[in-house]
Amino acid sequence: MKVTIKSWTGVATWRWIANDDNCGICRMPFDSCCPDCKLPGDECPLVWGACSHCFHIHCIVKWLHSQPQQQCPMCRQDWKFNNK
Amino acid sequence: MASSRDELKIYWNKIYYAFPILNDMLFTDCSDEEYQEIQEIIIGLGIQIKIRDLVLVHIEKYLRQHVAPSFWAKFIKVEEEVKGFQLFKSAVNDLYESLKNFSPILNKLNTLNNCCGDNKPIFGERDVLMGFKQLLRATLLSQLPLDFPVIINHFYKISFNVFDNEYENSEMPDDIMCSGCWNESIDCNCAYIVKIFHDTNRKLVELQLLERLTGQVLTNFIQLRIESHIQKVCAGTFDVSHIGFLENWLDTTVMSWLTRIYCAGSSKPQPDNHIVLNAISKFKQKLSYFLYHSYTKLRIDQLFNIVIDYPDSQAAVDDIKLCLDKTDLRSTLCKKLQNALETRLLHPGVNTTDILTAYISTIRALRHLDPSGVILETVTKPVRSYLRNREDTVRSVVSSLTEEGAGSELAEELVKFAVDNDNENDKEEDWDEWEPDPVDADPKVNSCDRKASDIISMLVNVYGSKELFVNEYRTLLADRLLGQSVINTEKEIRYLELLKLRFGESQLHFCEVMLRDVSDSKRLNALIQQDRNFESLNSKFSSNAMILSAQFWPPFKDESLELPEEIKQHFEAYTKCYETLKGNRTLSWKPHLGNVNIEIEIGTKKLDLIVSPFNATLIMHFQNKPEWSLEELHQVMKVPITILRRKITYWQSLGIITEKTTDNYALVDGSEASKPSGSRNQVQDMICEDEETESVMASAHDQREGELQVFWSYIVGMLTNLDSLPLERIHQMLKMFASQAPGTECSLQELRQFLDTKVRTHQLILQAGMYKLPKT
Ligand SMILES: [Zn+2]
Ligand SMILES: [Zn+2]
Ligand SMILES: [Zn+2]
Repeated sequence: MKVTIKSWTGVATWRWIANDDNCGICRMPFDSCCPDCKLPGDECPLVWGACSHCFHIHCIVKWLHSQPQQQCPMCRQDWKFNNK
Repeated sequence: MASSRDELKIYWNKIYYAFPILNDMLFTDCSDEEYQEIQEIIIGLGIQIKIRDLVLVHIEKYLRQHVAPSFWAKFIKVEEEVKGFQLFKSAVNDLYESLKNFSPILNKLNTLNNCCGDNKPIFGERDVLMGFKQLLRATLLSQLPLDFPVIINHFYKISFNVFDNEYENSEMPDDIMCSGCWNESIDCNCAYIVKIFHDTNRKLVELQLLERLTGQVLTNFIQLRIESHIQKVCAGTFDVSHIGFLENWLDTTVMSWLTRIYCAGSSKPQPDNHIVLNAISKFKQKLSYFLYHSYTKLRIDQLFNIVIDYPDSQAAVDDIKLCLDKTDLRSTLCKKLQNALETRLLHPGVNTTDILTAYISTIRALRHLDPSGVILETVTKPVRSYLRNREDTVRSVVSSLTEEGAGSELAEELVKFAVDNDNENDKEEDWDEWEPDPVDADPKVNSCDRKASDIISMLVNVYGSKELFVNEYRTLLADRLLGQSVINTEKEIRYLELLKLRFGESQLHFCEVMLRDVSDSKRLNALIQQDRNFESLNSKFSSNAMILSAQFWPPFKDESLELPEEIKQHFEAYTKCYETLKGNRTLSWKPHLGNVNIEIEIGTKKLDLIVSPFNATLIMHFQNKPEWSLEELHQVMKVPITILRRKITYWQSLGIITEKTTDNYALVDGSEASKPSGSRNQVQDMICEDEETESVMASAHDQREGELQVFWSYIVGMLTNLDSLPLERIHQMLKMFASQAPGTECSLQELRQFLDTKVRTHQLILQAGMYKLPKT
């Protein structure tokens, strides 16, 4: 008997490589989207700060807009985008 | 003194001569002139009232003692119909003749009564003759014997047979037997029977006894005729309205019977004979009600089939609708249809889809029959509660909602809803068309709800929850998207749009993401295939992937499967490409999900199959080594032995693998496999796709368990701090601390089950009703 594979369709789930499961601002899972978005992933990406905390980009941008000082909401260090 | 006594005696003799009834006799030679003289004497004596009353008393006595007994004497229980026919005929005849003998007395009494001048009613009537008839009827009926209908029955049975024959089947002339009187045709007695029939009826009408005596029997006969006519005309056909024809038939055929019976064979009553006209019209009213009643009853007996045939059977439903207003059969209808639905649908042998189809046409038919919705609500109560307890109901509803092609009523309904919804807005409330609810309506239910709910919401309401439905749809969609090798995304998107109209955008948002995952995956595949790393890998076979957003898909069943090394290489390469394309993101593979297209060459046969990753892995192992024990397979595939044993049957059914000894499997060798053993060839042609239809999604029960899992960390925390706790206490504390957690409420019962599974997996210890963590 000879078995030939012609094609194999596998299934995988994607996830963000982050050191937490949920966004510290909206409390939603990173792999889901922020409350303002409908679609996860490309449409609602994550960003990392220099302090190594990460958030939904929409969440941190909204947060920084609402604050007088540009600080990370988790560690209160000055917020700097880290293009890791 | 003596002379006056003699005189008196002479007078008495004269009175006896004029009224022999005073001596219990009817016959006298007394002429009219002689009577005039006698009457003058009576008036001269001033005793006319006394004599009149005396004669009346004697007439009554005579009727009681002679006429009535000899009439009823003939009403005996006889077996033979002919004998009964003769007896009834002669009874009526004799009665008629004997009453004729009263007429001289009645004439004289009438003249005498006219001289009394006291206007006293005679047996409740204005004049002597009518009073006499009234007396006769009263006397006869007061002595009615128990078995009196027997010979009347015989009489009318024979007559009706001839009667029918004469008016209905005149087109069969040359039979040996006359179908009217059952004599040989040469000796046909029909003419005689018809004559006697009309003669007897005429006499009874004259005596005003027809209805009192024969009314019941006659009604029975005519009703039998009506019933058999209805049966003959209406059996089995639901697509024609019959009520008009039946009404017409009653007006012509049945009425002509009645007229002939009442009018001695003539088909037209005399226009001034009010008694007859009145009697006929009353009779007709009775029969007309009976006609509606019998027709409705017949239709009610057929109602299950009528309902199933709807809308082809709309004519029949219209008929019933009309008749329900004229009869009192509403509650009978409800009871009978409910019974029919229960006995014919609601048992384990009937498919859920068939029950649903029947339920849907019931909804449609009964909506039409009774727009108030009350009958529908009553009748389908057991269907709803039965469907509620069937496990696959939601799934069947959801799958038929999204099914394509003819026969999918629900899919059509869904499209219709979208169209209706567009028109809804410009509809004004028709307040002036308001009608009160029928009396049998359930006052607890809002009549607007009853009327407005469409078929889909009636089905959803079986469960009372939109969420459950949407969840089930999501699971179904997931299965479809993962199970098919070719996905018709366009079609799925179209249905999703329709469902969104129905159930709301937010409910179905998850499904939208799922569909987007599918189309994104296609794009991603095309992109990744171009990657240089893939070129060498793809030279052997191509690999694709479906990349899912886990948060939006229903939870997957956790199944382990160790894939062959070459497949794992593909996946690793795929993951690498993905990671480069999408920064900071990676993939977790679900090795047991997906599908594989393989070709198997065995002997001279070639099989092209689409199978599950499990089946593909299994057969690849057999390619490398022709014999495996379950234990060995378990080692390489990391699949539990019970599952291996169950799933290997796929290859056994194809005749490629055989169980040599218990739990030891071997490849059927090429020469053997190509041998035509039984129906194997057929099997090869038939099965080209993996038969596994089991859902890859976690069941609702598994999902719930997953939800309860969020409590576990709380429970562990509690038991670490407090050492041991009883069930109730854990429940209380969870309510206090974990009430915001998803999965909302958790009943005591559910919690006990959950904790029990933890005890079974040795994550908890239960001692004397207290839960504890095991010592590590
Ligand atoms: Zn966020
Ligand atoms: Zn967002
Ligand atoms: Zn920080």
